[in-house]
Amino acid sequence: MFIVGRILSSLLVIAGSLVLVFAILYVLPGDPTDNMIDPSVATAEQIANLKQQLGVDQPFYIQFTRYISDMVRGDFGNSLLNSEPVLDKILEHFPATLALTAASALVSITIGLVLGVLSAIHRNGPIDFIARLVGLFGISMPTFWSGILLIVLFSLQLGWFPAMGSDGWKTIVLPALTLGIVGAGFIVRMVRSSMLDIIDEHFMLTLRSKGLSERAVMYKHALRNALIPAVTMIGMLIGEMLAGTVVIETVFSRQGIGRIIGDALMAKDLPVVQGVIFITAVIYVLVNLLVDLSYSVIDPRVRRSA
Amino acid sequence: MNRSRFVRRPFQTSTALLLVLTLLLSACASNKGSNNNSGQPAAQQSDAPAATEIKQGGVLTYALATSPDSLDPHRSGLAVAVRVIRTIYDSLVVQLPDNSIKPWLATSWAISDDGLSYTFKLRQDVKFQDGTPFNAEAVKYNFDRILDPATKAANAAALLAPYQSSEVIDEYTVKLNLATPSRAFLGNLSQALLGIVSPTAAKKDGDQFGLNPVGTGPFKFVKWEQNAEIQVAKNADYNWAPELVTNTGAPYLDGIIFKIVPEEATRIGSVQSGQVLAAETVPPQNIVALKGDSKVQLLEANTVGLPYTLFFNQEHAPWNDVKARQAVQLAVDVDSIVKTLYLGTYDRAWSPLTPGTFGYDPTLENGVKPDLEKAGALLDEIGWVKGADGIREKDGKKLTLHYVDGTPNREKRNDIAVIIQQQLKALGIAVEVEITKDVRTVVYTNGDYDLYGNSQVNSDPNALYPFYHTTDPKAQKSLTRLSNPEIDKLLEQGRVETDDTKRADIYKQIQHYIIDQAVILPIYVFPYTVAADKSVQGLVFDSLGYPLFNGVSISS
Amino acid sequence: MREAATASTIWYKRNRAAAIRFKRLSANNLFLIAAAAVILFIAACAVVPSFIAPYSPTEMLTDSIMQPPSAAHVFGTDYFGRDIFSVVVYGSRDSLFIGFASVLVGGLAGGAIGALSGYAGGWIDAVLMRFNDILMTIPGILLALAIAGALGKSLFNIVLAVAVASIPGYARIMRSQIMSIKGRTFILASQAAGASPLHIFWKHVLPNSLSPLLVMATIGIGTSILTGSGLSFLGLGVLKEVPDWGTLLSQGRGYLTVAWWICTFPGLAITMFVLAVNMIGDRLRDRLDPKRSAR
Repeated sequence: MFIVGRILSSLLVIAGSLVLVFAILYVLPGDPTDNMIDPSVATAEQIANLKQQLGVDQPFYIQFTRYISDMVRGDFGNSLLNSEPVLDKILEHFPATLALTAASALVSITIGLVLGVLSAIHRNGPIDFIARLVGLFGISMPTFWSGILLIVLFSLQLGWFPAMGSDGWKTIVLPALTLGIVGAGFIVRMVRSSMLDIIDEHFMLTLRSKGLSERAVMYKHALRNALIPAVTMIGMLIGEMLAGTVVIETVFSRQGIGRIIGDALMAKDLPVVQGVIFITAVIYVLVNLLVDLSYSVIDPRVRRSA
Repeated sequence: MNRSRFVRRPFQTSTALLLVLTLLLSACASNKGSNNNSGQPAAQQSDAPAATEIKQGGVLTYALATSPDSLDPHRSGLAVAVRVIRTIYDSLVVQLPDNSIKPWLATSWAISDDGLSYTFKLRQDVKFQDGTPFNAEAVKYNFDRILDPATKAANAAALLAPYQSSEVIDEYTVKLNLATPSRAFLGNLSQALLGIVSPTAAKKDGDQFGLNPVGTGPFKFVKWEQNAEIQVAKNADYNWAPELVTNTGAPYLDGIIFKIVPEEATRIGSVQSGQVLAAETVPPQNIVALKGDSKVQLLEANTVGLPYTLFFNQEHAPWNDVKARQAVQLAVDVDSIVKTLYLGTYDRAWSPLTPGTFGYDPTLENGVKPDLEKAGALLDEIGWVKGADGIREKDGKKLTLHYVDGTPNREKRNDIAVIIQQQLKALGIAVEVEITKDVRTVVYTNGDYDLYGNSQVNSDPNALYPFYHTTDPKAQKSLTRLSNPEIDKLLEQGRVETDDTKRADIYKQIQHYIIDQAVILPIYVFPYTVAADKSVQGLVFDSLGYPLFNGVSISS
Repeated sequence: MREAATASTIWYKRNRAAAIRFKRLSANNLFLIAAAAVILFIAACAVVPSFIAPYSPTEMLTDSIMQPPSAAHVFGTDYFGRDIFSVVVYGSRDSLFIGFASVLVGGLAGGAIGALSGYAGGWIDAVLMRFNDILMTIPGILLALAIAGALGKSLFNIVLAVAVASIPGYARIMRSQIMSIKGRTFILASQAAGASPLHIFWKHVLPNSLSPLLVMATIGIGTSILTGSGLSFLGLGVLKEVPDWGTLLSQGRGYLTVAWWICTFPGLAITMFVLAVNMIGDRLRDRLDPKRSAR
């Protein structure tokens, strides 16, 4: 019963986000022909013809219902700009975004854990100070700026990694670093405080009194217990990272979902925008469903309250 | 058909002539430095150091600033797409830097006395990259395709006007009929957006043709990874290059990879770090820096057509008053703007036309000099006097100027607005700058601007017509809202005048009027710039500033 | 086994000693002092820029464009020939406006939605939370991009765009806090005593639920400035005579390899300010969480 309810409400959320995006596009000025035809060259008649052919002269609600009815039948439609099927477009771009998000999450966890643990172990010492400062820097810089700085340093000056592209592991290093540093900042904070919580708890004292070495206590118990919130945090950060790709993919000239939706949004390319939002909404809903389900498995109280 | 005006251009003769020319030019080119061609439409430059030295093979990586929209020439609306389109497709004719029209896929043509029909003789040895033969049917199919609304043709439809229909005379002769005579028509036919697509492929792929383009050009399409790269490969059968390039045969390169790199610093830096061999649209600050780089050369071609121009909206008072406009003309220090923002890398514009365009009048150069005092006197004269806050007033109304510019900040145009705002503050005009994404609505539909800037790459001075001719009450208004019977008459004559000397004179009169009456403020001439590794040789540009890769080779 | 224990004891002791030496200026205190100083200075820039900036931010010295930092121009000059230090000082106004105003709008709206949802429960909660989920499915920067695009370029529209994008976060945290407070004994006690639900909400639930929202809002000031600068990068920045830091950074980034100072100083201004705000936020979080006050 609980699961059926969740699935129903998930469907509602997906439908709702499509309607919301539609509403936003409705008020967005201009139309897709803006960049297709130069108003200083073309006659008004030519522009009107083009609009008619693309169907963008129709009232928006007609465009929307047509789109939805096609989608229900499994047809995501074609891009208004170049007629490319939206599904092909998404399938072409999705792997690169997925790879970038995964690599960034890896960077976040690695840096976040190392700094967080160091910081907790050396509580209030100079290492704590430095580790936290580094973590804070990560979340305080505009990503497009840190990205460009990394390009200038590691690509243009040192020539270690390519500055652009989305094929091969080498191209993913710099963008993943840029995006991963942001997530690392949040994880440092999280790991540090949950480790400190555990260190202060009684059972640690008990373990110590049992004669376990200090180091063993730290790494075996405190760290293991701190890992859980850090991994949960990553779940929450995935959404943030997907959003971050809008900027990062442009800075690093990568293919990806973030880049096409940013462009499509500004060009009012309705089928593309709706297609991408549909996919991200499904991902979001699925991730949350999984998180909630796993909670209810771990903690029976959640099941009862839901 | 009128035999006397049939321009015969046997293809063999021109090839032989070209060969001689090539040898002569390459002899000259090897003496002087090969990268100093600034300000020149570079086609005069040899694109091959010498026939024996040319290295075959290799792949050129070329970074583009934005992603092309479609590789269907008839549907594309972006200049960046034309850089790729030009490699895949050929046109019927070619326009040389001296504005003369020469054969390409057409060997010769005749224009009827009334200027309403053009009969083209076509080359008989041309095949599309998919094997389809090129013939009169193919030409007819192409132009009818642009006219067909289902094609969703964009700028190509505008360029093709006043085309009406085609008749296939025989397999290699086609007659194009126009609704009205147009001197701009041949020049427009030379543009890549009117390039000839393969009828077989276009019919087969329909809407998706722009994703699987097929033409007759020197390179054939391989693949397109959107937002990342486009690959084209050598068309080994190619043997019909126009006079604009010296290599009439297949290209020396094995292929070109166009990389899409929007971030300026990355794009240019990648050439310096060797990640790509060439990159387009070099920002002025980098042009200056590159001039001292021993590994990188800078190639530029000034574009023809209309320079970046600020248009006054004469429907809005007080800008309908020539004195108010002249005051602004005298107060805006264009030299200072061009020097500050473009660091001397862009030329200042003086006329509504750019220097390479047919009929350009160089006597306008240095005609307008900034004179704040005179500007102030002009405004005083018409009753706009300085108020307490330094802003001029008349009848309790402040003197404001609504300056509209589009986004993004292309070629630092938004920065021009910032400087003009400061410069006109000194004259007592409050400039309200509006940067909008929706130029179509704000400017073209609502006319909500006093000053708006635009430029246009165009092969013919007839480009002036839609900007300065009185507009048909039913049509969209011109940017200037100018309505002067004299100018109307001249623009109409220029459109059809067949005598080049007379035609040039007509356009000179128009240019003088526009500047004397301060209808516009011409700002700068945009050069298309390419930063390339020194190993890249033979890159030239057509008269519109688009790169041609036929003669490019990569030396080791 | 013994050896390992000894080593670890030594390690632990050494560490302790370092911590004690550092104690007088503990990390937390150091952060706090530095952060307060940065924020105070930037606030002063926003309030009385004319006392701090040596030049007018609009004055274009066309003879000295792109000059590197010097005694006359400590941050150098930009491509218009403006003194970058002065432009950055004046630019703090709009940057802080974006930061504070969008937190105010987003925090109030999100807080209200979350409070209503959590306290009312039932179908109101269900409806509001589905709406919140819908907002959350669309990445924040895209939402901001769409709103800024729809409303046009103005400072206020940027604020609105950033604020709307931040609503779901505030709503979620407020709702969960309200729900946990609602079940506490002292609330149940006053309910038993017959107090009206509205009274209980204003007097007990709300005051006890605000602290996480406050922490989030503090950090949100920094996040908003970052989101705003992201919008500038994507071409939706506001062009004014004196632009905000995000716009300055975005416009100057093309000069990084030829005149590094043009974008570096606005970038540093953003980073320092956001860093300071984050430090204060961290400290606030520790303080408001009774369990962690010892740190």
